[in-house]
Amino acid sequence: MTLSDRAKVRSPWILHFDTGSCNGCDLEVWALLSPKYDVERFGMVNKANPKHADILLITGPVTKKCEERLRNLYDQTPEPKLVIACGDCASTGAPFTDCYNHNHGVNNVIPVDVFVPGCACRPEAIIDAVLLAIGKWKEMSNDLPEEYGPEPDHEVRP
Amino acid sequence: MTPTAQVITSLVLLVAAPLAVGVLLGVDRKLTARMQNRVGPPILQPFYDILKLLGKRRSLLNSGQVCFAQCCLLFQLLALAVLVFGGDLLVVFFLSSAGSVFLVLGAFSANSPFSQMGAQRELLQVLAYEPVLFIVIMAVGFDQRTFLAAQIDRMLLAPLFLAFIALIPVLIIKLQKSPYDIATAHTELVSGPHIEYSGPYLAVVELAHWLEIAVLLGILSLFWYDPNIWVSIAGKATLILVAWFVVMIIDNVTARLVRKRMVSFTLSFGFTLVALNLILLHYVLPGVGL
Repeated sequence: MTLSDRAKVRSPWILHFDTGSCNGCDLEVWALLSPKYDVERFGMVNKANPKHADILLITGPVTKKCEERLRNLYDQTPEPKLVIACGDCASTGAPFTDCYNHNHGVNNVIPVDVFVPGCACRPEAIIDAVLLAIGKWKEMSNDLPEEYGPEPDHEVRP
Repeated sequence: MTPTAQVITSLVLLVAAPLAVGVLLGVDRKLTARMQNRVGPPILQPFYDILKLLGKRRSLLNSGQVCFAQCCLLFQLLALAVLVFGGDLLVVFFLSSAGSVFLVLGAFSANSPFSQMGAQRELLQVLAYEPVLFIVIMAVGFDQRTFLAAQIDRMLLAPLFLAFIALIPVLIIKLQKSPYDIATAHTELVSGPHIEYSGPYLAVVELAHWLEIAVLLGILSLFWYDPNIWVSIAGKATLILVAWFVVMIIDNVTARLVRKRMVSFTLSFGFTLVALNLILLHYVLPGVGL
Protein backbone atom coordinates (compact mmCIF):
# COMPACT_ATOMS: atom_id res chain seq x y z
CA MET A 1 0.00 0.00 0.00
CA THR A 2 1.53 3.31 -1.04
CA LEU A 3 1.64 6.40 1.13
CA SER A 4 -1.06 8.15 -0.87
CA ASP A 5 -3.36 5.11 -0.56
CA ARG A 6 -2.84 5.10 3.18
CA ALA A 7 -3.52 8.82 3.36
CA LYS A 8 -6.76 8.51 1.39
CA VAL A 9 -8.55 6.35 3.90
CA ARG A 10 -7.48 8.54 6.80
CA SER A 11 -9.28 11.61 5.59
CA PRO A 12 -12.91 10.87 4.63
CA TRP A 13 -14.70 14.19 4.32
CA ILE A 14 -18.45 13.88 4.63
CA LEU A 15 -21.47 15.58 3.12
CA HIS A 16 -24.75 15.15 4.94
CA PHE A 17 -27.96 15.56 2.92
CA ASP A 18 -31.53 15.27 4.18
CA THR A 19 -33.88 14.00 1.48
CA GLY A 20 -37.11 14.28 3.46
CA SER A 21 -36.13 12.61 6.70
CA CYS A 22 -38.06 13.23 9.94
CA ASN A 23 -34.75 14.66 11.32
CA GLY A 24 -34.29 11.66 13.63
CA CYS A 25 -31.37 10.28 11.62
CA ASP A 26 -30.07 13.81 10.98
CA LEU A 27 -29.71 14.38 14.71
CA GLU A 28 -27.75 11.15 14.99
CA VAL A 29 -25.48 12.20 12.12
CA TRP A 30 -24.83 15.51 13.84
CA ALA A 31 -24.14 13.68 17.10
CA LEU A 32 -21.09 12.18 15.37
CA LEU A 33 -19.40 15.56 15.43
CA SER A 34 -19.99 16.09 19.15
CA PRO A 35 -17.24 15.42 21.74
CA LYS A 36 -18.92 12.15 22.73
CA TYR A 37 -18.41 10.44 19.36
CA ASP A 38 -15.80 12.82 17.87
CA VAL A 39 -15.37 11.38 14.39
CA GLU A 40 -12.61 13.89 13.67
CA ARG A 41 -10.27 11.33 15.26
CA PHE A 42 -10.73 9.33 12.01
CA GLY A 43 -10.05 12.48 10.02
CA MET A 44 -13.75 12.86 9.22
CA VAL A 45 -14.86 16.46 8.78
CA ASN A 46 -18.31 17.65 7.81
CA LYS A 47 -17.53 19.73 4.73
CA ALA A 48 -21.15 20.54 3.77
CA ASN A 49 -19.92 20.88 0.19
CA PRO A 50 -20.20 18.18 -2.49
CA LYS A 51 -17.03 19.33 -4.25
CA HIS A 52 -14.93 18.65 -1.16
CA ALA A 53 -16.75 15.51 0.00
CA ASP A 54 -15.73 11.86 -0.26
CA ILE A 55 -18.58 10.19 1.62
CA LEU A 56 -22.23 11.19 1.25
CA LEU A 57 -24.36 10.48 4.32
CA ILE A 58 -27.91 10.50 2.99
CA THR A 59 -30.97 10.39 5.24
CA GLY A 60 -34.65 10.17 4.27
CA PRO A 61 -36.59 8.23 1.60
CA VAL A 62 -35.73 10.68 -1.26
CA THR A 63 -38.94 12.52 -2.06
CA LYS A 64 -39.69 13.21 -5.74
CA LYS A 65 -38.83 16.88 -5.18
CA CYS A 66 -35.44 15.93 -3.74
CA GLU A 67 -34.48 13.42 -6.41
CA GLU A 68 -32.97 15.90 -8.85
CA ARG A 69 -31.06 17.67 -6.09
CA LEU A 70 -29.60 14.41 -4.79
CA ARG A 71 -28.46 13.45 -8.33
CA ASN A 72 -26.92 16.90 -8.71
CA LEU A 73 -24.99 16.57 -5.44
CA TYR A 74 -23.81 13.10 -6.41
CA ASP A 75 -22.60 14.31 -9.81
CA GLN A 76 -20.72 17.23 -8.25
CA THR A 77 -18.78 14.97 -5.87
CA PRO A 78 -15.45 14.04 -7.45
CA GLU A 79 -14.53 10.34 -7.59
CA PRO A 80 -13.69 8.23 -5.70
CA LYS A 81 -16.90 8.74 -3.72
CA LEU A 82 -19.01 6.57 -1.46
CA VAL A 83 -22.66 6.78 -0.49
CA ILE A 84 -24.06 5.69 2.86
CA ALA A 85 -27.84 5.42 3.29
CA CYS A 86 -28.51 6.28 6.94
CA GLY A 87 -31.62 4.79 8.52
CA ASP A 88 -34.57 2.65 7.45
CA CYS A 89 -36.13 5.37 5.26
CA ALA A 90 -32.94 5.89 3.29
CA SER A 91 -32.41 2.14 2.96
CA THR A 92 -35.91 1.00 1.90
CA GLY A 93 -38.34 3.86 2.48
CA ALA A 94 -39.88 1.49 5.03
CA PRO A 95 -42.46 3.58 6.93
CA PHE A 96 -43.74 5.07 3.69
CA THR A 97 -44.28 1.91 1.66
CA ASP A 98 -46.77 2.47 -1.21
CA CYS A 99 -46.57 6.24 -0.85
CA TYR A 100 -46.81 8.00 -4.22
CA ASN A 101 -44.41 10.89 -3.57
CA HIS A 102 -41.02 9.31 -2.92
CA ASN A 103 -38.46 6.91 -4.33
CA HIS A 104 -38.40 4.17 -1.65
CA GLY A 105 -34.78 4.64 -0.68
CA VAL A 106 -31.56 6.24 -1.89
CA ASN A 107 -30.58 3.15 -3.89
CA ASN A 108 -33.30 3.87 -6.46
CA VAL A 109 -31.73 7.23 -7.32
CA ILE A 110 -27.95 6.86 -6.86
CA PRO A 111 -25.79 3.78 -6.16
CA VAL A 112 -25.40 3.10 -2.44
CA ASP A 113 -22.31 1.46 -0.92
CA VAL A 114 -23.39 0.86 2.67
CA PHE A 115 -26.86 0.68 4.24
CA VAL A 116 -27.32 1.56 7.91
CA PRO A 117 -30.47 0.05 9.49
CA GLY A 118 -32.36 1.60 12.38
CA CYS A 119 -35.09 4.12 13.04
CA ALA A 120 -33.32 6.27 13.89
CA CYS A 121 -29.92 4.72 13.17
CA ARG A 122 -27.50 4.78 16.09
CA PRO A 123 -24.38 7.00 15.83
CA GLU A 124 -22.23 3.93 16.57
CA ALA A 125 -23.81 2.21 13.56
CA ILE A 126 -23.01 5.21 11.34
CA ILE A 127 -19.37 5.22 12.48
CA ASP A 128 -19.28 1.50 11.73
CA ALA A 129 -20.75 2.15 8.28
CA VAL A 130 -18.16 4.82 7.54
CA LEU A 131 -15.36 2.42 8.52
CA LEU A 132 -16.94 -0.25 6.28
CA ALA A 133 -17.10 2.29 3.46
CA ILE A 134 -13.45 3.16 4.05
CA GLY A 135 -12.62 -0.57 3.72
CA LYS A 136 -14.41 -0.58 0.37
CA TRP A 137 -12.60 2.59 -0.67
CA LYS A 138 -9.25 0.92 0.08
CA GLU A 139 -10.06 -1.87 -2.37
CA MET A 140 -11.24 0.41 -5.16
CA SER A 141 -8.52 3.06 -4.86
CA ASN A 142 -5.91 1.12 -6.85
CA ASP A 143 -7.79 0.80 -10.14
CA LEU A 144 -9.64 4.11 -10.18
CA PRO A 145 -9.64 4.99 -13.90
CA GLU A 146 -11.11 1.66 -15.15
CA GLU A 147 -13.65 1.38 -12.39
CA TYR A 148 -15.26 4.76 -12.94
CA GLY A 149 -15.36 4.98 -16.72
CA PRO A 150 -15.69 8.31 -18.51
CA GLU A 151 -16.87 11.58 -16.99
CA PRO A 152 -20.67 12.04 -16.79
CA ASP A 153 -21.79 13.43 -20.16
CA HIS A 154 -24.84 15.26 -18.85
CA GLU A 155 -24.63 18.78 -17.56
CA VAL A 156 -23.51 19.32 -13.97
CA ARG A 157 -24.59 22.63 -12.55
CA PRO A 158 -21.96 24.61 -10.64
CA MET B 1 28.89 30.79 6.55
CA THR B 2 30.23 30.31 3.06
CA PRO B 3 27.93 31.36 0.18
CA THR B 4 27.34 27.72 -0.84
CA ALA B 5 26.34 26.72 2.69
CA GLN B 6 24.02 29.72 2.79
CA VAL B 7 22.27 28.71 -0.43
CA ILE B 8 21.87 25.13 0.81
CA THR B 9 20.46 26.35 4.16
CA SER B 10 18.00 28.59 2.34
CA LEU B 11 16.86 25.76 0.05
CA VAL B 12 16.36 23.44 3.03
CA LEU B 13 14.34 26.19 4.75
CA LEU B 14 12.24 26.69 1.60
CA VAL B 15 11.20 23.02 1.69
CA ALA B 16 11.02 22.67 5.47
CA ALA B 17 8.94 25.78 6.18
CA PRO B 18 5.70 24.60 4.47
CA LEU B 19 6.14 21.13 6.00
CA ALA B 20 6.56 22.72 9.44
CA VAL B 21 3.37 24.73 8.82
CA GLY B 22 1.58 21.45 8.01
CA VAL B 23 2.74 19.91 11.29
CA LEU B 24 1.77 23.08 13.19
CA LEU B 25 -1.71 22.98 11.63
CA GLY B 26 -2.00 19.35 12.77
CA VAL B 27 -0.92 20.24 16.30
CA ASP B 28 -3.38 23.13 16.18
CA ARG B 29 -6.27 20.80 15.29
CA LYS B 30 -5.22 18.34 18.00
CA LEU B 31 -4.92 21.00 20.70
CA THR B 32 -8.19 22.64 19.65
CA ALA B 33 -9.87 19.24 19.95
CA ARG B 34 -8.34 18.71 23.40
CA MET B 35 -9.60 22.15 24.47
CA GLN B 36 -13.09 21.05 23.40
CA ASN B 37 -12.73 17.77 25.32
CA ARG B 38 -12.38 15.72 22.12
CA VAL B 39 -9.67 13.27 21.08
CA GLY B 40 -8.93 15.01 17.81
CA PRO B 41 -7.28 13.89 14.56
CA PRO B 42 -3.67 12.63 14.26
CA ILE B 43 -0.94 15.28 14.11
CA LEU B 44 -0.24 14.44 10.45
CA GLN B 45 -3.90 14.90 9.43
CA PRO B 46 -3.25 17.96 7.18
CA PHE B 47 -0.78 15.86 5.14
CA TYR B 48 -3.29 13.02 4.80
CA ASP B 49 -5.87 15.55 3.59
CA ILE B 50 -3.53 16.97 0.95
CA LEU B 51 -2.40 13.52 -0.26
CA LYS B 52 -5.99 12.34 -0.49
CA LEU B 53 -7.04 15.42 -2.46
CA LEU B 54 -4.17 14.86 -4.91
CA GLY B 55 -5.50 11.34 -5.60
CA LYS B 56 -9.03 12.44 -6.43
CA ARG B 57 -10.42 12.94 -9.91
CA ARG B 58 -9.87 16.34 -11.49
CA SER B 59 -12.94 18.43 -12.14
CA LEU B 60 -13.01 22.14 -12.83
CA LEU B 61 -15.48 24.84 -13.77
CA ASN B 62 -13.21 26.80 -16.10
CA SER B 63 -9.52 26.80 -16.91
CA GLY B 64 -9.11 30.32 -15.51
CA GLN B 65 -10.03 29.08 -12.07
CA VAL B 66 -7.21 26.54 -12.10
CA CYS B 67 -4.75 29.02 -13.58
CA PHE B 68 -5.50 31.50 -10.78
CA ALA B 69 -5.01 28.80 -8.13
CA GLN B 70 -1.64 27.85 -9.60
CA CYS B 71 -0.60 31.52 -9.83
CA CYS B 72 -1.57 31.91 -6.16
CA LEU B 73 0.70 28.97 -5.25
CA LEU B 74 3.51 30.30 -7.45
CA PHE B 75 3.44 33.80 -5.96
CA GLN B 76 3.35 32.54 -2.36
CA LEU B 77 6.28 30.25 -3.17
CA LEU B 78 8.20 33.18 -4.70
CA ALA B 79 7.48 35.29 -1.61
CA LEU B 80 8.77 32.55 0.67
CA ALA B 81 11.83 32.05 -1.54
CA VAL B 82 12.71 35.75 -1.42
CA LEU B 83 12.30 35.69 2.36
CA VAL B 84 14.46 32.62 3.03
CA PHE B 85 17.18 33.89 0.69
CA GLY B 86 17.33 37.04 2.82
CA GLY B 87 15.73 39.32 0.25
CA ASP B 88 13.77 42.54 0.51
CA LEU B 89 10.84 42.41 2.95
CA LEU B 90 8.79 44.76 0.79
CA VAL B 91 9.17 42.43 -2.19
CA VAL B 92 8.06 39.54 0.04
CA PHE B 93 5.02 41.56 1.09
CA PHE B 94 4.01 42.50 -2.45
CA LEU B 95 4.50 38.98 -3.85
CA SER B 96 2.41 37.51 -1.04
CA SER B 97 -0.31 40.12 -1.62
CA ALA B 98 -0.36 39.25 -5.32
CA GLY B 99 -0.88 35.62 -4.30
CA SER B 100 -3.89 36.59 -2.17
CA VAL B 101 -5.34 38.59 -5.05
CA PHE B 102 -5.04 35.57 -7.37
CA LEU B 103 -7.04 33.53 -4.85
CA VAL B 104 -9.75 36.22 -4.97
CA LEU B 105 -9.71 36.24 -8.80
CA GLY B 106 -10.05 32.45 -8.82
CA ALA B 107 -13.08 32.69 -6.56
CA PHE B 108 -14.60 35.46 -8.73
CA SER B 109 -14.17 33.33 -11.86
CA ALA B 110 -16.79 30.84 -10.66
CA ASN B 111 -20.38 31.84 -11.21
CA SER B 112 -21.59 30.71 -7.81
CA PRO B 113 -23.04 33.00 -5.14
CA PHE B 114 -21.06 31.42 -2.29
CA SER B 115 -17.83 31.73 -4.24
CA GLN B 116 -18.56 35.36 -5.16
CA MET B 117 -19.39 36.30 -1.58
CA GLY B 118 -16.32 34.44 -0.37
CA ALA B 119 -14.18 36.41 -2.83
CA GLN B 120 -15.60 39.73 -1.68
CA ARG B 121 -14.99 38.83 1.95
CA GLU B 122 -11.46 37.69 1.13
CA LEU B 123 -10.88 41.12 -0.44
CA LEU B 124 -12.17 42.72 2.75
CA GLN B 125 -9.72 40.62 4.78
CA VAL B 126 -6.89 41.73 2.51
CA LEU B 127 -8.04 45.30 3.14
CA ALA B 128 -7.91 44.68 6.90
CA TYR B 129 -4.52 42.98 7.33
CA GLU B 130 -2.34 44.24 4.50
CA PRO B 131 -2.04 47.88 5.71
CA VAL B 132 -1.11 46.65 9.20
CA LEU B 133 1.47 44.18 7.87
CA PHE B 134 2.84 46.89 5.58
CA ILE B 135 3.19 49.46 8.37
CA VAL B 136 4.91 46.89 10.61
CA ILE B 137 7.41 46.11 7.84
CA MET B 138 7.96 49.85 7.39
CA ALA B 139 8.60 50.16 11.14
CA VAL B 140 11.13 47.31 10.95
CA GLY B 141 12.83 49.02 8.03
CA PHE B 142 12.85 52.35 9.87
CA ASP B 143 14.42 50.77 12.92
CA GLN B 144 17.01 48.69 11.06
CA ARG B 145 17.72 51.17 8.21
CA THR B 146 17.31 48.27 5.77
CA PHE B 147 14.54 46.10 4.32
CA LEU B 148 16.85 43.17 3.57
CA ALA B 149 15.96 40.22 5.82
CA ALA B 150 19.56 38.98 5.75
CA GLN B 151 20.91 42.25 7.15
CA ILE B 152 18.71 42.37 10.23
CA ASP B 153 21.34 41.86 12.94
CA ARG B 154 19.68 43.17 16.08
CA MET B 155 16.89 41.96 18.35
CA LEU B 156 13.65 43.58 17.16
CA LEU B 157 11.32 42.24 19.83
CA ALA B 158 12.38 44.68 22.54
CA PRO B 159 12.27 47.94 20.53
CA LEU B 160 9.27 46.92 18.41
CA PHE B 161 7.24 44.92 20.93
CA LEU B 162 3.98 46.76 20.27
CA ALA B 163 4.42 46.31 16.51
CA PHE B 164 4.78 42.58 17.15
CA ILE B 165 1.51 42.58 19.11
CA ALA B 166 -0.13 44.38 16.16
CA LEU B 167 0.64 41.31 14.04
CA ILE B 168 -1.53 38.99 16.19
CA PRO B 169 -4.85 40.02 14.50
CA VAL B 170 -3.07 39.61 11.14
CA LEU B 171 -2.10 36.08 12.14
CA ILE B 172 -5.71 35.37 13.21
CA ILE B 173 -7.02 36.45 9.80
CA LYS B 174 -4.36 34.54 7.86
CA LEU B 175 -4.94 31.36 9.87
CA GLN B 176 -8.73 31.65 9.25
CA LYS B 177 -9.47 31.63 12.97
CA SER B 178 -12.42 33.13 14.79
CA PRO B 179 -13.32 35.91 15.48
CA TYR B 180 -12.05 36.84 11.99
CA ASP B 181 -12.71 33.71 9.87
CA ILE B 182 -14.86 35.93 7.69
CA ALA B 183 -14.13 34.57 4.21
CA THR B 184 -14.12 30.87 4.98
CA ALA B 185 -16.95 31.10 7.52
CA HIS B 186 -18.05 27.48 7.59
CA THR B 187 -21.58 28.01 8.86
CA GLU B 188 -22.34 30.90 6.48
CA LEU B 189 -20.32 30.45 3.29
CA VAL B 190 -19.26 26.79 3.70
CA SER B 191 -15.68 27.47 2.63
CA GLY B 192 -15.89 30.80 0.84
CA PRO B 193 -13.25 31.26 -1.85
CA HIS B 194 -12.30 27.55 -1.73
CA ILE B 195 -15.82 26.28 -2.33
CA GLU B 196 -15.64 25.70 -6.09
CA TYR B 197 -12.27 23.95 -6.02
CA SER B 198 -12.20 20.18 -5.75
CA GLY B 199 -9.69 17.35 -5.71
CA PRO B 200 -6.11 18.21 -6.77
CA TYR B 201 -7.01 21.88 -7.36
CA LEU B 202 -8.22 22.20 -3.78
CA ALA B 203 -4.87 20.73 -2.72
CA VAL B 204 -3.12 23.48 -4.72
CA VAL B 205 -5.18 26.17 -2.97
CA GLU B 206 -4.53 24.54 0.40
CA LEU B 207 -0.76 24.38 -0.24
CA ALA B 208 -0.81 28.05 -1.24
CA HIS B 209 -2.45 28.76 2.11
CA TRP B 210 0.32 26.86 3.93
CA LEU B 211 2.93 28.91 2.09
CA GLU B 212 1.09 32.13 2.91
CA ILE B 213 1.19 31.20 6.60
CA ALA B 214 4.88 30.26 6.27
CA VAL B 215 5.64 33.74 4.86
CA LEU B 216 3.87 35.48 7.75
CA LEU B 217 5.56 33.24 10.34
CA GLY B 218 8.88 34.01 8.65
CA ILE B 219 8.25 37.73 9.12
CA LEU B 220 7.30 37.07 12.78
CA SER B 221 10.52 35.13 13.31
CA LEU B 222 12.60 38.13 12.19
CA PHE B 223 11.73 39.82 15.47
CA TRP B 224 14.18 37.58 17.31
CA TYR B 225 17.89 37.75 16.61
CA ASP B 226 20.92 36.46 18.47
CA PRO B 227 24.54 36.24 17.27
CA ASN B 228 24.65 32.58 18.33
CA ILE B 229 22.78 30.69 15.60
CA TRP B 230 21.29 28.02 17.90
CA VAL B 231 19.99 30.57 20.40
CA SER B 232 18.61 32.49 17.43
CA ILE B 233 16.79 29.45 16.03
CA ALA B 234 15.38 28.51 19.45
CA GLY B 235 14.20 32.07 20.04
CA LYS B 236 12.55 32.34 16.62
CA ALA B 237 10.76 29.00 17.11
CA THR B 238 9.57 30.00 20.59
CA LEU B 239 8.29 33.31 19.25
CA ILE B 240 6.28 31.57 16.50
CA LEU B 241 4.88 28.94 18.86
CA VAL B 242 3.84 31.51 21.47
CA ALA B 243 2.12 33.70 18.85
CA TRP B 244 0.32 30.67 17.37
CA PHE B 245 -0.78 29.48 20.83
CA VAL B 246 -2.23 32.91 21.66
CA VAL B 247 -4.17 32.82 18.37
CA MET B 248 -5.43 29.32 19.20
CA ILE B 249 -6.69 30.46 22.61
CA ILE B 250 -8.42 33.46 21.01
CA ASP B 251 -9.97 31.12 18.42
CA ASN B 252 -11.44 28.90 21.11
CA VAL B 253 -12.88 31.61 23.35
CA THR B 254 -14.46 33.90 20.76
CA ALA B 255 -17.32 33.75 18.27
CA ARG B 256 -17.14 35.18 14.74
CA LEU B 257 -17.58 38.95 14.47
CA VAL B 258 -19.16 40.83 11.59
CA ARG B 259 -17.00 42.04 8.68
CA LYS B 260 -17.12 45.73 9.57
CA ARG B 261 -15.73 45.15 13.05
CA MET B 262 -12.86 43.07 11.67
CA VAL B 263 -11.75 45.92 9.40
CA SER B 264 -12.21 48.70 11.95
CA PHE B 265 -10.56 46.81 14.83
CA THR B 266 -7.60 45.41 12.89
CA LEU B 267 -6.78 48.77 11.29
CA SER B 268 -7.24 50.95 14.37
CA PHE B 269 -5.50 48.47 16.71
CA GLY B 270 -2.60 47.91 14.31
CA PHE B 271 -1.98 51.56 13.38
CA THR B 272 -2.33 52.76 16.97
CA LEU B 273 0.12 50.22 18.34
CA VAL B 274 2.74 50.80 15.63
CA ALA B 275 2.43 54.60 15.97
CA LEU B 276 2.66 54.35 19.77
CA ASN B 277 5.68 52.09 19.42
CA LEU B 278 7.53 54.52 17.15
CA ILE B 279 6.66 57.54 19.32
CA LEU B 280 7.88 55.73 22.45
CA LEU B 281 11.02 54.52 20.73
CA HIS B 282 12.09 57.81 19.17
CA TYR B 283 10.71 60.55 21.41
CA VAL B 284 9.70 59.34 24.87
CA LEU B 285 12.42 56.81 25.74
CA PRO B 286 15.37 58.99 24.51
CA GLY B 287 13.75 61.90 26.39
CA VAL B 288 13.93 60.09 29.73
CA GLY B 289 17.46 58.94 29.02
CA LEU B 290 16.87 55.30 27.99
